[in-house]
Amino acid sequence: MKNACEKWKDQLLEAALTGATTKDFEEHLRVCAMCSRELDAVRARKGQLDELLPLVARGAEPPADFQAQVLAAAEAASGASRARRWRVWTLAGATAAIVALMIGAAMYRRAAQTIPEKELAAVQRLAEWRAPSDALLATPGQEILRTMPRLGESYLNVPMKENEEE
Amino acid sequence: MRGPEAGFGERIAENQRRVFQIAYSILGNAADAEDVAQEAFLRAYQKFGSLREAEKFRGWVNRIVFRLALNRKRGHRRRLTRDTAWKITETRAMVDGAKGAEQQIMLDKLRKEIERLPEKLRSVLQLSLVEEMDAADVGAMLGIPAGTVRSRLHTARKLLLEVME
Repeated sequence: MKNACEKWKDQLLEAALTGATTKDFEEHLRVCAMCSRELDAVRARKGQLDELLPLVARGAEPPADFQAQVLAAAEAASGASRARRWRVWTLAGATAAIVALMIGAAMYRRAAQTIPEKELAAVQRLAEWRAPSDALLATPGQEILRTMPRLGESYLNVPMKENEEE
Repeated sequence: MRGPEAGFGERIAENQRRVFQIAYSILGNAADAEDVAQEAFLRAYQKFGSLREAEKFRGWVNRIVFRLALNRKRGHRRRLTRDTAWKITETRAMVDGAKGAEQQIMLDKLRKEIERLPEKLRSVLQLSLVEEMDAADVGAMLGIPAGTVRSRLHTARKLLLEVME
């Protein structure tokens, strides 16, 4: 196509695609052999394009057993999903049972550690028990030393003379 | 064990060809198209409770296969061996002597040119090439009016006509 004919390019493509032409373009085609030939070439290309374009989407077919394959895959997927759900519930049940067992064991241990009142009283009595010979072995000083004197008091509880301090 | 839900097989039969073609028009590879179409149906199966109506199922599966195919296209390339094996099968099925071989070369070139189109034009073109898909169907899938679909399709064809020699 000559440079001078570049302006007809769009109309040329339109003419090849739709068959529609303007009066100006038709007049140009009558005088321009090159554009006329180009139009024929573009029309041929359009025919080729019309033949090829459908193959872009329809050049291959799904396999004959496509439906069976999808159904089998759907069945397998739904089986797997059921198995997965079953596994999840089993796991949840087992976890709950273990937790319940642990709580039960902890509660039992705690209950076992509590000392009955009766036993506690017996132990208390045993701790307070003194042999009768303890009284014979006691010294007078023990009674005095049993309590700690407060500040300013004497073990012997002898009051101090006020003038002695000065 | 309970089998696939009743009626699902029928929906596959009604839609499989179109669903496969949508995937194939985008991926240009039968193995990938088959994988993606199967995945789309499996997703539909999971939602089959709400997709029992034929029209609803059709619209939903069209959209999902389109999205899955675009994701795969953007995502990763297939192993060369598998790709080549399919290509040979497809070519054998189509090629009929020298004319067929030439057509295959032109088809490969056309696919490359389609890939170069702006995405808006490419999507419209690829979906419009699928059987049983009119401008309204394509528009519904892409969320654009049917008039816009026709206009974009015309522009896409014009651009292809210009570059295909």
